[in-house]
Amino acid sequence: MSDSISSRLTPRAKWPIFIGMCLVAATIIYPLFFVVVTSLRSNVDYKRDPFGLPVDWTVTNYIELWDEYGVGRAFLNSLFVSTSAVAVILILATLAGYALAKLPVFGSKFFTATFVSVMLLPGPVLIIPIYLVLARLGIVGDYSGLILVYVATGLPFAIFFLTLTFRAIPDELLEAARVDGAGFFRTLWSIVGPMGASGIATLAVLQFLGTWNELIFALILVPDAQMRLLTPTLATIGKRFVSDQPLTSAGLFISALVPLLLLTFASKYIMRGLQVGLSR
Amino acid sequence: MRQSKLVGTLAVLPSFVIVAGFMAFPVMFAFYISFTKTNGLTYDWRGLDNYIAIFSDPIVHQVFLNNFKFLISVPLVIFSALVCSILLFEQFKGWKFFRVIFFLPNVLSVAVIGLIFRNAFGYDGAVNQFLGLFGNEPMQFFIDSNYSILIIILALVWSGFGYQSLLLLAGLTSINPAVFEAAAIDGAGWWRRLWSITLPNIRKVLGFVFIINILYTFASLFGFVFVITAGGPGYETTTIDFLVYLRAFSSNNLGSGAALAVLLFFFIGLLTLLQNRVFKLQKDD
Repeated sequence: MSDSISSRLTPRAKWPIFIGMCLVAATIIYPLFFVVVTSLRSNVDYKRDPFGLPVDWTVTNYIELWDEYGVGRAFLNSLFVSTSAVAVILILATLAGYALAKLPVFGSKFFTATFVSVMLLPGPVLIIPIYLVLARLGIVGDYSGLILVYVATGLPFAIFFLTLTFRAIPDELLEAARVDGAGFFRTLWSIVGPMGASGIATLAVLQFLGTWNELIFALILVPDAQMRLLTPTLATIGKRFVSDQPLTSAGLFISALVPLLLLTFASKYIMRGLQVGLSR
Repeated sequence: MRQSKLVGTLAVLPSFVIVAGFMAFPVMFAFYISFTKTNGLTYDWRGLDNYIAIFSDPIVHQVFLNNFKFLISVPLVIFSALVCSILLFEQFKGWKFFRVIFFLPNVLSVAVIGLIFRNAFGYDGAVNQFLGLFGNEPMQFFIDSNYSILIIILALVWSGFGYQSLLLLAGLTSINPAVFEAAAIDGAGWWRRLWSITLPNIRKVLGFVFIINILYTFASLFGFVFVITAGGPGYETTTIDFLVYLRAFSSNNLGSGAALAVLLFFFIGLLTLLQNRVFKLQKDD
């Protein structure tokens, strides 16, 4: 994409576009800014002048959420569940993706067809049977059940994504490793892993965002308030304290913090994942 | 060779077992449940009873109609995404930064986005406070079904247009720049190029975006409905996926919820097939 293309608008004509885009960006940024500012004031202060800056800044909302409504614990619970699910997905999808991309596999067409056909399965179709299956296995209300569901729903896309990523690794490299006597795991560890590292990182970020933000399974599979994850905790708090906007805003910011940090520091990976998301 | 074929298969197997066990099997199980009356412990075969009940249930009719009301969001999202993508494609200063900003709502949970809108339109929310600056009395937006639907649609547009404008931008970027240059040399102006080159060249991506929006309105509104309106007032903003949840966890017949889920499954399947057809056409890109 060079700048010399004559079919583009002149720099002068680009100014109105730039300003227009700034306005559009403001519609995204301002609500978030409003949430952050609101979270740092008392309810009285908010009602007096919601659009101005707080008269006295305070973090009591955060302390209240953390101490009294179990948001701190929920945050750690979410961190644990998301990290575990993503770790399992990465390991299993790397194995499967590498095999489907580079190794002969019995019935590989059948496997691929299965993964692709369940990839777009809507969550609502699964909630009742998954709840009943996990209940039968006795793991409703246990993180292992929820993690299993996240792994199962995340794997199809993960395998698809890594199969595409690993296909780009040159066969000569793998052949050379084989000649050198490297076995399956050795090749995976010293060639496939490093060569596909950015793809794996992209996948890790996308899957982490997905599990961190997930609501419906977290809601129904972990009914115990002590074990609640962050997203359902936030949803419950938001529904309960309709008239205390500063308090719910603090909850919103805590929930949004991790995704926003990821977007800030890993936007390169997220943007790359987007392109592949399109090609499916 | 046989050896490595075994190794390859073993590497795929764990993933396959989990996906088959916790995605493929549950779907088949849902089919079975939908023909029974069950509380999760005993299964009573009832044939098509659940389906017959669904088709004659006025609440289901209303809920299905609600889903169609939410389709208003589709042209709104696509239009705003299209405008943004075409403008981003001009690659003005800082366009990459805007790309990240536009993607921002997409990393947030629907619960977060939903609550931002619920708060904003709440009784003492930002919108009422703003209207109050002009001397208006605060309104109860959520007791009115039309306002409630509009607020959810607004949340859909706000959270969806950025990501989709990036999808469309990817489509625009894959157009051969020589086509634009040739048109420019032939004296075609900006609007003319937009109409005769840009839009026809991304019609397949547009088709894809169109389908995913429809899929989304039918299968993924649960989060928004749950936090913004809880389906109310009455069942006025309840969508099919939210009704599946309500039926599943607040009634004693899971079979009825499962039957609804199965119908949704077929509906989504149909749309997905349609999408695949659109994509078959696109293979040669």
